[in-house]
Amino acid sequence: MKMHKIAEVEIQHDIMVANRKLAQRNQKILDKSNVFAVDVLGAIGSGKTSLIEALIQNMGHKIGVIAGDVISKFDAGRFQKYQVPVVGLNTGKECHLDAHLVEHALGDLPLDEIDLLFIENVGNLICPVDFDLGSHLRMVVISVSEGDDTVEKHPLIFKDADLVVINKVDIAEAVGADQEKMVQDVKDLNPDVTVIKSSLKTGEGLEEIIDTLEKVIQKN
Amino acid sequence: MHELSMADAMVKTILDVAEKNKAEEIIEVTIEIGKLTMLNPEQLRFLLDVLSEDTLLQGSKIIINEIPVEIKCNSCDFKGSTDLDDSDHYLAIVVCPQCGERDLEVTAGRECNVQKIKIEKSDEEEEK
Repeated sequence: MKMHKIAEVEIQHDIMVANRKLAQRNQKILDKSNVFAVDVLGAIGSGKTSLIEALIQNMGHKIGVIAGDVISKFDAGRFQKYQVPVVGLNTGKECHLDAHLVEHALGDLPLDEIDLLFIENVGNLICPVDFDLGSHLRMVVISVSEGDDTVEKHPLIFKDADLVVINKVDIAEAVGADQEKMVQDVKDLNPDVTVIKSSLKTGEGLEEIIDTLEKVIQKN
Repeated sequence: MHELSMADAMVKTILDVAEKNKAEEIIEVTIEIGKLTMLNPEQLRFLLDVLSEDTLLQGSKIIINEIPVEIKCNSCDFKGSTDLDDSDHYLAIVVCPQCGERDLEVTAGRECNVQKIKIEKSDEEEEK
């Protein structure tokens, strides 16, 4: 007679852990080609693309870019103007990049021809937080126009950041944002992080961002 | 916000394991979600229901256990769970409950784990 039995099967498959493992693999791929990778995070319109454009123009590195977006061709097109290798990653419905998507993009990049890679994440302060990509540094870009309570409202992304850029400080007064409060809020969450106030329009802070990145790259 | 992709990954994992274990029915699924993940358990449950339609998972009992936040303080060596305040549920990762300092590491609360499934299978298959 055919008998039925009940069985309990342990799975213990943590999707975050699986992503982290893939991220570690990505970092090994990057390290093998001596590429330093920066994950650039921030809200829509905070200035991520503009900052990467400024860094491409002002840093003496062989730079490559992974442009992640719901529809990536717009940002990818902006980077292509500078004759740097660009891979657009269409996330479609997804609100964040993950290590698996980045692994594919790495395969499409001439890694031996670059030494610095910017991975522009989808504009979002929430979803990308849990997903390591394998980058060496996480840079979060926010702007004063998002409101000076942005940091308090999205603490996790700042807690995990290695470098925070507070952009568009030239219009802080016009939008009624207290930029010093934003700096302090980041420091409260993440006492060791470097916070730089910038305006990509006036050029304020750009040199400091570049110096900070160079120092970390040299240490790596 | 990304509950759909997470639910999709979970359903795939569950069905894969069920198939490998020759399950004829999935009775129960246990999932662990850390309280600090950007996942809403209710939305996740809804999407798991939607995605399990017409699969072995349809109608299974889904248990979602929320994992509390645990921190380690680098200033006073406090280690342990910390209460989440509903009105400011991130306060726990900001200030050490023991010494009030801010140099903390999160040691638990970011899980998104398919822990186990309870299945029904025939004994004959088991003996193979």
